[in-house]
Amino acid sequence: MMRRTLAIALLAMPALAQSQPVMAQPIQVGAIEILSGPNAAYGVAIKGGLDLALDEINAKGILGGRKIQLTVEDSAANKDQAINAARKLIGRDKVVAIIGPTLSNEMFAVGPVTNERKIPTLGTSTTASGITEIGPYIFRTSLPESDVIPVTLKAAQARGVKTIALMYANDDAFSKSGFDVMKAAAEKAGLSILAIESFGSKDTDFSAQLTKIKSLKPDAIGLSALVEPVSGVLLQARSLGFGKETLFIGGNGSNSPKLGEIAGPAADGLIVGSPWFIGKKADNNEAFVAAYKAKYSRDPDQFAAQAYDAMKIMAGAIDRAGAAEPEKVRDALAKTDSSGVMGPFRFTEGRDPATAAGVVVLVMKAGKFAVLE
Amino acid sequence: MLAQQLVNGVLLGATYALFALGFTLMFGVLRVINLTYGFYFSAGAFLSLALTRQLGLGIWAALPLAAIGAGIMAVGIDWLLLTRLRRRATAELDSLMVTLGGVLALYSAMTAWLGPDIRRLPPGLVSADSFVIAGVRITTAQILILGATLLLVALLLALMRGTRLGLAIRAMAEKPDAAGLMGINTARASALVSFISGCLGGAGGVLIGLNFNAIHPYMGETMMLRGFVVIIVGGLGDIRGALIAGVALGVIEVLTAGYISSGLKEAVAFAILVAVLWTRPQGLFGRAVMRRA
Amino acid sequence: MSIPPWLDDLLWTYQNLIHAMGVNGLLALSMYVVLAIGQLSLGQAAFMGLGAYSSALMTLKLKLPFFVVLPASVAAPVLVALLIGVPTLRLSGVYLAIATIGLGEVLRAVYLNVDVFGGALGLNGIPERAETWMIFGILAAGITGLWLVGRSGVGRAMEAMREDPTAAAVMGVNVPRYHLAALVTSAILAGLAGALSAHVSSFIGPNEYGFEPAVTILSFALLGGIGTPIAAVAGAWFLTLLPELMRDLPQVRLTLNGVIIVLAVLFLPRGLLGWRMGRKAA
Repeated sequence: MMRRTLAIALLAMPALAQSQPVMAQPIQVGAIEILSGPNAAYGVAIKGGLDLALDEINAKGILGGRKIQLTVEDSAANKDQAINAARKLIGRDKVVAIIGPTLSNEMFAVGPVTNERKIPTLGTSTTASGITEIGPYIFRTSLPESDVIPVTLKAAQARGVKTIALMYANDDAFSKSGFDVMKAAAEKAGLSILAIESFGSKDTDFSAQLTKIKSLKPDAIGLSALVEPVSGVLLQARSLGFGKETLFIGGNGSNSPKLGEIAGPAADGLIVGSPWFIGKKADNNEAFVAAYKAKYSRDPDQFAAQAYDAMKIMAGAIDRAGAAEPEKVRDALAKTDSSGVMGPFRFTEGRDPATAAGVVVLVMKAGKFAVLE
Repeated sequence: MLAQQLVNGVLLGATYALFALGFTLMFGVLRVINLTYGFYFSAGAFLSLALTRQLGLGIWAALPLAAIGAGIMAVGIDWLLLTRLRRRATAELDSLMVTLGGVLALYSAMTAWLGPDIRRLPPGLVSADSFVIAGVRITTAQILILGATLLLVALLLALMRGTRLGLAIRAMAEKPDAAGLMGINTARASALVSFISGCLGGAGGVLIGLNFNAIHPYMGETMMLRGFVVIIVGGLGDIRGALIAGVALGVIEVLTAGYISSGLKEAVAFAILVAVLWTRPQGLFGRAVMRRA
Repeated sequence: MSIPPWLDDLLWTYQNLIHAMGVNGLLALSMYVVLAIGQLSLGQAAFMGLGAYSSALMTLKLKLPFFVVLPASVAAPVLVALLIGVPTLRLSGVYLAIATIGLGEVLRAVYLNVDVFGGALGLNGIPERAETWMIFGILAAGITGLWLVGRSGVGRAMEAMREDPTAAAVMGVNVPRYHLAALVTSAILAGLAGALSAHVSSFIGPNEYGFEPAVTILSFALLGGIGTPIAAVAGAWFLTLLPELMRDLPQVRLTLNGVIIVLAVLFLPRGLLGWRMGRKAA
């Protein structure tokens, strides 16, 4: 029974792909994001940003009025399902390009597959080092942490920080990679590192690590982890008596409006470097935030903003390529020179974002991020 | 620093014990690995969230209501998944499997319905102040957890030792067939055990959600592994054992993280588990546990 | 004879799925071996991880050729199986299950904390050395081997142990020796599965061999049924294909996955393929 269903499904696939006439055919673009399971929040925000941009793109059309058909596949944060999704998008949906996947870990598995098939792949949230070294078809719009952290540390030093303790989640690639960058940047900036403590990204108790750090009295604590554990650390730090004398410095994971929602006043005073922030004074950003709120009745986060820009960058590349062909789209993508809600955007030779000039340092005030004065 | 670390350890251990109480009861009496237990923990936390946020109830009203709600769910799910398996020869494997499928469905349905985001109970539900006693800091929520854990342990022990119902449950844990022959309505007693376990799980979810300020659909799942360690080390169905093992685990984890390396925190818990299983597989505190419960 | 392009495309699209079916089939066999003698040992994911990490390191750091790496990949799992096997032989049921899950968690901590394993970043850039025919060749050999063992007198002893270990021991079956042999076989199969999967997916990470995969592997064998090795493999194939068949329903996919497992256990008590091993002159 099962085998027959599968056989029918397999046979039906090639037929489906060829059934429409060429002129009306939309341009196939794929995305792989985490839409189910415990990490779905990231994928859902990204999909929100992609869909919003897609509405605007398709209202105008590209390549002389053609629309983009975006197929978003779920990876459930599982390596195998992410690869299956990439293969399905390329082999069955015949996409010209892929956006995503969500996590750096997933990109390390998916990148080699898409690169082998010469399908341009654009990460919007993959900040670990080594991502774009997978191959010449792998791009990312997300600033690697190594561009953001030094800016944040500089701001911290300007406020008199000389000693620092580092805390990070040692079981996910994003947090570990962010920590490596943070440690190197702190050493380079001449900060003395008093302690390095780790935890699990699903932990809820950090009292042992915080108590130890408190006895060392560092000027600042650098945190590299996703927003959930960061919130937990902050809440517990306050109840263990950490006050204003200790500056909390977040990595990219702390840069989420959820920090204020979960940690509330405990997060006040935390600083974080960000390529984007919700209150940025620019016409296109204000329009984006308003449209996002209208469509989803919630605030966008940086993942949504990055995805929104990435979708537009991809559509622009396809339009400039003059044809929906992966090779041409790759070349056009490499020549991107656009301006989005994150600011002006170009790629380096290594297909990473060219400029970190747009990085602002934010500070948490009463549950919301504001630009650090 | 050592005093604060020991207090941290005891408080962390109290959360482990609180989670494990219902789990050990379910496991010890009903003799099945019921993986849905973690779900009642999450469900209790979400119920309290709805009760406090939507209906504006205080913690003293929301806590028992959420616990009872989780208990009712436990009875319903138990009935759906496990009743028809109890007669099978391979009940142990089958129930593991069916609750595995069940809990996967429950967690993902809950996530699809409520979203994967972390939420928190309304701030100010419990005072956020912390007290400083002899240089050691402790918060109201932590005192609440400690108190609730001790109170629940005392209540459970009283129920098991001092009532006819407790006697029936213990008889069932010992020899289910014989208990049935002696006129104990085992179906009703199992349902009651499910209910009590569900209530304990739900209450644990509320209190721990309150303490760590994080309520999300998979919160019960993340407690399960620690839960296993506690109930095995403490002895299946041994309520006092769960309390001691939970607190001991918390203290050891905190001391490892504080004085050796925070990277080893989790490994130590499992190393202890493996060591206990190799040397005293019946748990640290003896066997035939329900008889002494 | 050349393959038509659409078929080539189709095979490419589903290549990873086909590999996963082979690898998961091996894992199901690894589970079957211990379940067949009534042991609820859940160390398969841990053994798989040992096979994956040791083979990936041999390829990446020692630059050994794959025909050396693949057989050598069983060394670490077998060593650990022998190490934990002796003291855990006394355990049964739930206790054994949890002790073996504990092993997986301890190893996870080792991968995270020891630099050579790459910590949370895992190991990436593993070259694609395993071929589809290797995976399925080993799977076929595993099925055949276990089938032959199952049909022999050894199989009868195994079934006796599963039904009633005490009676089996009384009748002269050397129960501890069978337990250890089953554990080692299980480790070999899982280790091979780990090495093969590492060499088709270019990346391995520390979180792939913990609690959840352990339980998933168990569900392969239980869903298929533990009467025959082929049934266990069928269970693995079904659960591997299930999420892909439901790709278009991301919101309810995991929920349905769970519901299907529940229904299968409740209404197909012997697994999807519930027949028993035929044996001459029982």
